[in-house]
Amino acid sequence: MSTLTNSAKAGVRARVPRFAEAAVERARLTVVPPRRSLGRTEAARMPFAVLVIAILAAGVVGLLMFNTNMQQASFKATALQARVDVLTAREQSLDLELDQLRDPQHLAVAAKRLGMVAPSQPAFVRLGDGRVLGTPTPATAGDSVRINPLPPPLPDEIKQKTVFVKARPTTPENTSRNGSKTSGSDTPATSATGTRAGDRKKANTDTGTSTTGNSNTGNSNTGNSNSAADSGATR
Amino acid sequence: MRLRVGLLIIAMLLSLFGARLFQLQGVDSKAYASRAEAAGLVSIELPAKRGRILDRNGVPLAASIAGTMIVADPTRTTPHAEAIAKILAERLHKDYFDLLAKLTKKNDHVRFVYVARRIPSTLAANVMDELRKHEYAGVDTRSDPLRTYPAGDVAANLVGLVGVDGMGLAGLELNFDKLLAGKDGKETYEVGGGNRIPLGENSRVKPVEGKDLRLTIDRDVQWYSQRVLRAAVQSAKAKSGAAVVLDSRTGELLALADYPSFDPNKPGRASEGLLNSKALADVYEPGSVEKVLTASSLIDAGKVTPTTKIRVPGDLPVLDRNIGDWFEHGLIRLTMAGVIARSSNIGTALAATELTPEQLWSYLDKFGLGRRTGVGVPFETRGLLPPASIWSFLTRAQVAFGQGLSVNVLQLAAAVNSLANGGELVAPSLVEGRATTAKGEVVGTATTTRHRVVSSRAASQTAQMMELVTTPDVGTAPDAGIEGYRVAGKTGTAQEVGGKCKCYQDGGIAVSFAGFAPADKPRFTVYVVVKDPAEGASGGGTAGPVFRKILSYVLQKYAVPPTGTAPSTLPIKWGRHAARADR
Repeated sequence: MSTLTNSAKAGVRARVPRFAEAAVERARLTVVPPRRSLGRTEAARMPFAVLVIAILAAGVVGLLMFNTNMQQASFKATALQARVDVLTAREQSLDLELDQLRDPQHLAVAAKRLGMVAPSQPAFVRLGDGRVLGTPTPATAGDSVRINPLPPPLPDEIKQKTVFVKARPTTPENTSRNGSKTSGSDTPATSATGTRAGDRKKANTDTGTSTTGNSNTGNSNTGNSNSAADSGATR
Repeated sequence: MRLRVGLLIIAMLLSLFGARLFQLQGVDSKAYASRAEAAGLVSIELPAKRGRILDRNGVPLAASIAGTMIVADPTRTTPHAEAIAKILAERLHKDYFDLLAKLTKKNDHVRFVYVARRIPSTLAANVMDELRKHEYAGVDTRSDPLRTYPAGDVAANLVGLVGVDGMGLAGLELNFDKLLAGKDGKETYEVGGGNRIPLGENSRVKPVEGKDLRLTIDRDVQWYSQRVLRAAVQSAKAKSGAAVVLDSRTGELLALADYPSFDPNKPGRASEGLLNSKALADVYEPGSVEKVLTASSLIDAGKVTPTTKIRVPGDLPVLDRNIGDWFEHGLIRLTMAGVIARSSNIGTALAATELTPEQLWSYLDKFGLGRRTGVGVPFETRGLLPPASIWSFLTRAQVAFGQGLSVNVLQLAAAVNSLANGGELVAPSLVEGRATTAKGEVVGTATTTRHRVVSSRAASQTAQMMELVTTPDVGTAPDAGIEGYRVAGKTGTAQEVGGKCKCYQDGGIAVSFAGFAPADKPRFTVYVVVKDPAEGASGGGTAGPVFRKILSYVLQKYAVPPTGTAPSTLPIKWGRHAARADR
């Protein structure tokens, strides 16, 4: 190569005067290194691309995961909602059951089965000085209140005709001129008699807890007259 | 050359796509959009929960729970009808044969039958689980809101009931329907595979929940009153009855019992006429109980005192009629207190002549007769207090002892209560706080009004006279007294207009008892009416014991001890035979 160049040089030199030799020598084009071959820029490119790709990938994956997560949450919400509905319904039916147990009628039936009656005379003990206010009176069967309705009256066709036997008059102290018969209407017997199926059992328990034998006989008498009237006897 | 052919094909394809795009987006877009919505968009009603009706302690008298109805398609249940009917009969306590008939196919047209309505959701879910386990097809559930009345017939006459559509049908359920019902909401959202699509279309109008209605009623007192009343009405073979318990100071209704009544949980068995309170809807003539209003008016006007001496003849001719007393007597000498204690019509009519008709009318008007109490129960009657200008001599005499005018039960209870409340009439109330009725009236304890009718002296003197009524050997109703307590009361036996002739002879009677205790410091006023009892009934004998039982119950429940003061000892007679024990 150098021999070639030298021989060419020798040729040019032969035709061109020597004085321009230095200028010619200076004007000769030389190859400069390309800019991109500079090591600095080449090194900065790689991490940037990776970064962009990473962000992109992270974005896509994140979005995907977010979406999936939301779907999962939605499934879970549906399942939880269904559970809430079931539990709410259960709570409500338990409440309903509780209310039915708290029903005063239910309690009264249970109390009656234990032989309890409502006291007729309110009386109190004052805790401050231990004084008794009111007149304490033991409750008797007479204080019981009929808590179940009488059975509906029978239609006329199947009513039994009962012969009415006059009952012994009720206790005289109850007999006032305007209320001779009816003052008996609230005696224990009446509240327990005149009943057929349902209340009879209770009537028995009532008389069982009664303390006075006399009033019992009196009661059953009124009871007879009452049930007689109930079954259609004319008075 | 090949390049050009390729380009042409691509251009043709693209324009085809473009045309299709235009067709989809521009021309048919709405149809597709609606189809997409139909496929994935769900729109549901959010039913507002109906408010509860509570008693004064917050115990529910009416409540709503999520209910379910079970329905079936007989064409699909027929193959397993017996097995399904067995499961349903066991779980729902229904009749097996009824169910079997429902679940068996009769023809191809019937594809929907109700198996059970208004059952709790949990129960329905259990039943469905069991059916699913056995793979029996054709049974399904639908939502069916359930209104329950936990205490059954307790206060049913006031509360009323709701119909199948969930709207109020009677009573407070009807009158406060707007307040209780609330307003339904609506929700629209997209679903995919049964799950809500997040970020999908979603709109929600929240339901406005119904408000609770709190009453002044005490459920226990109401229950007890109803039972005592029912027992008494049935024993007396009467047609109907009513009992009222008022807090004397505030006018709050603790109980308002009606007999007959109904069970709102079994609305099918309730007859139409019973759905609203008859105590407020029906009028009757109050009879002798009204005498205490006349007496207190006379005392207030300064015309009589409890010891005023009155000569009571055996009968009193007025116009073409003869006014008599319930007991045969010749000329007797009674004090004003004696007239009340023995319930003499003649004595009251004679004493009332001291007032002009206008004065008496104005007193009775102030006592609230002839005006609605406006407690919030629908169909309340106004009653009838004829204007004084059309009173004849007979009307004037009759009005004095409670005939010739008509009232509803609560009106008279409130009037008697004004004597318990020191002469001040306090308007009775049923609703706690305030609430607006269907007619736009605002009612409740917050709107209670008070006005003076008679002086507090007149009220307390009348109370002392009324005390004699329950005093043994003196008054007409010794059965109504409570040992140890001072109980003021008054009996009433009124003839009612009715029957074919629309006269007193055919109308039957209404026996009643009104009173309060303790007489010198009243806490509760109780009024009991029994209408159309069999012969032999009387205010003291039939209504008196009901009064006593209810009054003892409330005195005990609210821990009201006896006052311990000396009872009233007003003389009932005067002159030579004035010994008190003489009757």
